[in-house]
Amino acid sequence: MVQAPAPSAAATPARSLGRDLAGFALIALAGLAGYWLFPDNLAFLTRVISVALLVLSLDLIVGYCGIASLGQAALYGAGAYAAGIACLNGVTEPFLLILIGAAAGAVTGLLMGTVMLRAHGLPQLVLSIAIVQLLHEAANKLAWLTGGSDGLAGMVPAPLFGLFEFDLWGRAAYLFGLGLLLVVFVALKLIVRSPFGMVCRGLKEDPLRISALGISAFPVLLRMFVISGAVAGAGGALGAIATQVVGLDSLSFELSANALVMLVLGGLGNLYGALIGTVVFMAVEHIVAAINPFHWMTLVGALLIAIVLFAPRGLSGTLDEAARILTRGQRRAGP
Amino acid sequence: MKISRRNFTGLAGALALAGTFGLGGAAAAETIKIGIIGPFSGPFALQGKNFQAGVEAWLAQNGKSVAGNEIEIIYRDLPTANPQQARALAQELIVKDKVQYLGGVYFTPDALAITPLLKQGNVPLVIFNAATSAIMTSSPLVVRTSFTTGQTTTPLGKAAVDRGIKKFVSAVTDYGPGVDAEGTFKKAVEAAGGQVVETIRMPLNTTEFSPIMQRIRDAGAQGVFAFLPSGPPTLGFVKSFNDTGLKQAGVKLFATGDLTQESDLPALGEAAAGMITGFHYATSHDSEANRKFVEAGEKAIGGPGQLTFPAVGAYDGMYVIAKMIAATAGKQDAEKAVEAVKGLAWESPRGPVKIDPETRHITQTIYLREVAKDAKGNWINKEIQSFPEQKDPGLAK
Amino acid sequence: MQTALSIALDAFAYGMALFIICIGLSLTMGLMRLVNLAHGAFAMIGGYIASYAVRNLGLGYGFGIVLAVVGTVLIAVPLERLLFRRIYDRSELSQVLMTIGITFCVIGITNYFFGPTLKTIPLPTELAQPIDLGFRSIAGHRLFVIASGLVVAGGLWFLIERTGFGIHLRAAVENAPMSRALGVRTELIYAASFALAIGLAAFGGVVGAEFLPIEPYYALRYMVTFLVVVSVGGAGSIPGALVACLLLGAIDVTGRYLMPDFGNFFFYLAVILVVCAFPRGLMGRAQ
Repeated sequence: MVQAPAPSAAATPARSLGRDLAGFALIALAGLAGYWLFPDNLAFLTRVISVALLVLSLDLIVGYCGIASLGQAALYGAGAYAAGIACLNGVTEPFLLILIGAAAGAVTGLLMGTVMLRAHGLPQLVLSIAIVQLLHEAANKLAWLTGGSDGLAGMVPAPLFGLFEFDLWGRAAYLFGLGLLLVVFVALKLIVRSPFGMVCRGLKEDPLRISALGISAFPVLLRMFVISGAVAGAGGALGAIATQVVGLDSLSFELSANALVMLVLGGLGNLYGALIGTVVFMAVEHIVAAINPFHWMTLVGALLIAIVLFAPRGLSGTLDEAARILTRGQRRAGP
Repeated sequence: MKISRRNFTGLAGALALAGTFGLGGAAAAETIKIGIIGPFSGPFALQGKNFQAGVEAWLAQNGKSVAGNEIEIIYRDLPTANPQQARALAQELIVKDKVQYLGGVYFTPDALAITPLLKQGNVPLVIFNAATSAIMTSSPLVVRTSFTTGQTTTPLGKAAVDRGIKKFVSAVTDYGPGVDAEGTFKKAVEAAGGQVVETIRMPLNTTEFSPIMQRIRDAGAQGVFAFLPSGPPTLGFVKSFNDTGLKQAGVKLFATGDLTQESDLPALGEAAAGMITGFHYATSHDSEANRKFVEAGEKAIGGPGQLTFPAVGAYDGMYVIAKMIAATAGKQDAEKAVEAVKGLAWESPRGPVKIDPETRHITQTIYLREVAKDAKGNWINKEIQSFPEQKDPGLAK
Repeated sequence: MQTALSIALDAFAYGMALFIICIGLSLTMGLMRLVNLAHGAFAMIGGYIASYAVRNLGLGYGFGIVLAVVGTVLIAVPLERLLFRRIYDRSELSQVLMTIGITFCVIGITNYFFGPTLKTIPLPTELAQPIDLGFRSIAGHRLFVIASGLVVAGGLWFLIERTGFGIHLRAAVENAPMSRALGVRTELIYAASFALAIGLAAFGGVVGAEFLPIEPYYALRYMVTFLVVVSVGGAGSIPGALVACLLLGAIDVTGRYLMPDFGNFFFYLAVILVVCAFPRGLMGRAQ
């Protein structure tokens, strides 16, 4: 690696593999550091991981395909409710519950994609809102299944590997979540690097050229919706397992909007931005809300304005910029 | 190896994570901590502020120590019903802040998310508001100082029929508490010989009520029972009731006190005049204890006109917690603490109250009130009839 | 029949109230290409000013409206200079992020200064009285809202299609550099149309307060409704916005009458169907 050539826009496979390995290692280290440094905050940190999966899934759609969505919680909530309902009906194995959540998210993603891909731009955004609102309403009405506005409670997932309980201290839940996040992250890196991921990017940058190559956009984007749904659904299932409750909020416009804010805050289209955005936003919110629970909204608002003004490419973009200056990499990266 | 850009961002993420929690630190855990969870921001911020006002009114009157133990209040914001966040907050209060008592909780789903933690955390939960009967059965370590919907609608239904009205329409917000209210009111009306001819459930975010009023008109009822969560929709409902001429046509409007909470009364004003509600507390309640409470509460909330029912739940909740602390001599023992307040009776600002030893829910007087002007020309909920010692019918065996 | 007429009248009034509030947003989104999610926040500021003027200062209702419009615009102008101007040519996502941030700030600040309680704007007696129309009585202010909506629609159409300002505005939207080269001061045009949009928001906030009550969370509570209505109509189109408001208002109101339990289903189902059938909005411009 020492004598590797100067970085170019299209990194060689070997080099990008090295970077990715280092990236995964850092995420794992950061996660473990969180475990050792804040053993009393694990419930919160697990929530962060669960939401991070949601934001990652949104990055696939917004960052890689250029489809704005304010309804991503539809996929997250579908996973959460599916896992919750399964758990109450005797399926308590946590790994199985995650799979159930991912499957439910994927199916919802398929439906949502089918509808949303009919429009572009603002109307598309509105479709995403309408879908999440409809599902929210449906979950409220189907009280016999979802618990309605009282939410689903009383689920008891089986101990992890039959050994570690999902208890008050939340250690098992956190490490379980961290493992899930790493696996998902590796899988997503592979997917966005694959030819399929490249086509998605191409559709975002220049749909005309891609269609000139004889590639039809709809099935490609729909596939990404399904993948995104699976990731969001797994995140929802993780939330359900860790907290043992599911509420209507997991299927809400507010959560969708928050996810988008976190993603834009972190930076679009590189997966790391999704993680950074989630951690920073939730940590700021958590700390400011704890210091002053009555007026945190103003501060979070000011933070958002500052980000747009001073860090237009999101935090990850700004960090890249800083890193480039630090490492004297004068070459401008590609578009 | 050079620091590549990707690595750098990942590293920064780790640093951000590390930096943000550095502030936490461990505090000397000698004082007794009480964690209060409530909606201190967001659309229900007023209710959360009332929690705080109730707690602070109690502290102002009784001091910050109980039986020689210093107490410290930790507020945690939960803006809207969000059970996952509720659970994470409660978990953190128990594990990190090491609270001995949990209090507050405005919404039912949040309460249901917290109750499974209590046993393991050895922490009692004193609910200041969340009003669904079922919460009490979800853990033996829960005590409630607010009310339940059924508790207020049952006497209301009877009183409504006693006023000679036989035919009702019920219009409730379509969510758990609304459905509860509809059921309990209907039961009470039918038991008293009346009839609910139509039940309407309105979506949560409705603000335009004229179509609902049209339905009420079509049903030809003499009385309307309404339940909506406190906030903007109540104003729209009551105004619509007037605007569409139902009030002039002589239709009587009955509701739970949520619709006419004192902070909304100036806005409702004339439109709500004559409206009959059933509730456990009015800030205008005539007693020495209440005058003192209202004075301290308004001081805490920062002015008159904002104090309303969650404050009294919080104030009495603090009373209960103080009794628990005294009974356990400051030691953490959730079961003993809850045991100690079973059957506890005292004079609350709302009147005489008692913690029912069976259900751990508060037994209290429910008042029938009419919206009217007081001597100074302010709109109040004027108490016109009282139903003493009401238990929660939803928990009665 | 009477019932149907009665419902139609209610739906019309509700749709008009929506229209007055939303048309400003439609203009900013369609003509200035600015996704201003803080639009509702300005409507709310207008409502607060009017409420303060009428309730606390004892001024007349009409005066309250004027004060609300002027006051809100005065608050918005420095914001336009400092914040909005920097995001006119940025991506939609940046615009969304910043305007959500502004909304949060406005909510926090209003909550701090005015408290979380509901604020009403007392109506003059002529508007507060129910008026008997023969088949039913209707509140006077509903007729006032309908009239205001028609005036706003007509006035805007005239302004944009028939005046010099309108020509400059359309030119600036079509091709800003070219308009500048031809001597159109686009910055001024943008500032003026921004002020117009904000003024309309404030006006809508005041006259619509009987439908959408004024409280600090107003700005977020109705954000989605406003955004949905504007997109369904097609951003930038006055007739589109009008049709969308009336259509969605009618669906909402009749849905709530026929099956109140499923009120929201009708609304959002209609949105999905309309957007699928007209992906650019009912009368949206080709992009």
